[in-house]
Amino acid sequence: MPPDTNNYAALEAEIARWMAAGGGGFEDRILEVHRFQRAHNPVYLGFCDGFPEPACWQEIPAVPVSAFKAAELRIFPEEQTIRTFETSGTTGGHPGRHYFCSLSLYEQAATQGWARAGLPMENVVAIIPDAGRAPHSSLSQMASWLVPGDRFFFNRREELMVFLGTAGKTVIFGTALAFLDFFEWLGSRQIILPEGSLAVETGGYKGTRRELPKGDLYSLFEERLGLPTDSVWNEYGMTELSSQFYTNGLGRPHRASPWARGLVVSPATGSEVEDGETGILKIFDAANLGSVCAIQTRDLAIRRGPDFELIGRDPAALPRGCSLVADELLS
Amino acid sequence: MNTADRAEALARAAAHFPELSPPTARDLLECVRLELGHEEILDGFQLYGGHLSRVIAPRTILHILSGNTPHAAFQTILRGLLLGSHNLIKFPSGGLGKLEGFSDLLPGALASKLECSRQLEEDWLRRAQAWVVFGSDATVAEFRAKCPPQVSFQAHGHRVSLAIILGDPDLRSCALAARDVSLFEQQGCLSPQVIFVEGDARRYAGVLSREMEWFALESPSPPLSLAAQAEIATARADWEFRASGEHGIEVWKGQGWTVVFEDSAEFPASPLHRFIFVKPLPADLSSCLVRFSNHLGGLGVWPGTPANAARFSEYGFSRICPVGRMQDAPFTWHSDSRQNLASLVRWVDFEP
Repeated sequence: MPPDTNNYAALEAEIARWMAAGGGGFEDRILEVHRFQRAHNPVYLGFCDGFPEPACWQEIPAVPVSAFKAAELRIFPEEQTIRTFETSGTTGGHPGRHYFCSLSLYEQAATQGWARAGLPMENVVAIIPDAGRAPHSSLSQMASWLVPGDRFFFNRREELMVFLGTAGKTVIFGTALAFLDFFEWLGSRQIILPEGSLAVETGGYKGTRRELPKGDLYSLFEERLGLPTDSVWNEYGMTELSSQFYTNGLGRPHRASPWARGLVVSPATGSEVEDGETGILKIFDAANLGSVCAIQTRDLAIRRGPDFELIGRDPAALPRGCSLVADELLS
Repeated sequence: MNTADRAEALARAAAHFPELSPPTARDLLECVRLELGHEEILDGFQLYGGHLSRVIAPRTILHILSGNTPHAAFQTILRGLLLGSHNLIKFPSGGLGKLEGFSDLLPGALASKLECSRQLEEDWLRRAQAWVVFGSDATVAEFRAKCPPQVSFQAHGHRVSLAIILGDPDLRSCALAARDVSLFEQQGCLSPQVIFVEGDARRYAGVLSREMEWFALESPSPPLSLAAQAEIATARADWEFRASGEHGIEVWKGQGWTVVFEDSAEFPASPLHRFIFVKPLPADLSSCLVRFSNHLGGLGVWPGTPANAARFSEYGFSRICPVGRMQDAPFTWHSDSRQNLASLVRWVDFEP
């Protein structure tokens, strides 16, 4: 049954304080969040029936990302929903939906996580739509907490070029696809950004049939914007989560904020892989209070100590015969 | 070598591949006769209506094998050699196991007609008078765009196959269906991805899962790439989540196999590798298959009666056979619904 509104608010406030204080004691806190969600979401409770009571955070039953498409994963009554974010790049049917009755933990995770990663909070511009134009985009919502309203340059490439040409040290935030579009539009023109400038790219090329290896994309940042590879950051986040993971340059692991963890598990056994080995990435996010705090992604990653090096979903690595994979046809 | 000599030599070599339903020399010659009208028509003029005709095979055929299943490669190599053509075989980059040593089993006169590589050699596109391309729609389109107009082009796109059980109260077809699903790890175009059951489909799925387990004990699935393992783990997680909240879904799984019962008419996406769906036979099967109408391959039916075959013969399948024999296509099979020797050759008529 849905929790009493006061219970939810009390736990939300407690988690907010804990995150602000540095998020130590992750295991106890996320187990508490898990128990709360298990108790108040019959859909998740039914799923958890197939698993033993977790003794540690790694044992919390993680729902696949498709669960956000198959069911309504919220621990509050529908009428308390204030925002719904939707996934993109779906194959048929409706998108995955992440419901929120409060955005405060999401905002705190996004802004505090950004700052903890070492990214400046000032002079941030975006090349994605703002939240007003894309109300169902969690990324646009996140950007709205980091970028002033007049610094969204989605589809305003000429203005962005002029702005960047005169601005000081700047952080440009956008999807890999938006950057690629911008670079293609720039053609051979260059805008050399002042030293200390950064770019933060996220997402892939979902549903566009466009692909560019990450190394090639990062070369374009250097060629067109004068940004060395190490000044280009990647943000790994998902509509289904509230927290983000960051890395910069190439071949480095993504790092979590103290209130979230990545866990790389063997697809064959479900157990955590050894350091340096590859497996499926699960995310545990204590800030994801209103839905489920443990998510099994579709991405592959390499375990790097407490962090992970993202490989992503790699259908190209799959050997195929002449048997048609139905979702290829339907996509 | 004439056609009969080639057929003999090919049959001897093919017999080393019992798992690929190798044709006999008689099967090969029968295919020539059925498609070209006379067993010796590749060797010289034969009576054809009121005149004489002979068939000229392409001097060189290029075969692009982009998949990783040996069946298609086996059959197209046999066809090319049976025609007497020189054959350029582009194997998939991951190789095709012992089939890559096929030329070692042939007499010199035939072995010299095979050039094989895992790379597409630079001059191959220019040298061939006929191209046979296996692959996805994108692969086929890529090669079709490159193919000169005077070159004959035979495309074999990816296919979806399925099985239909029309009354099997004793569930006698389950073991046979498990074989159809498990052989070749569902990588072949004749591997079923969904089994539609008239009657108690959930019960059928449960018994099928036991047979999948038995088959896996006898013939374990080969090691999978990490990406394939991850795709299967993800698909299992997706369906197990749904099963936890929806009565109409149940999942059985074991070492290297998965059976999903789903009580809906939607055609689901299988990640393959012994991942099979069992569903109740919908009243309107054609609507369920409409999205795949241009990609249907084989249909296994139980019981495999002529009446049942006739019932589904206009859906777009190129082959209908009894459940249990889905992987055993005869050499005369109209793969992709056409004559595959006839579509490569040209004719010369002589009117004395």
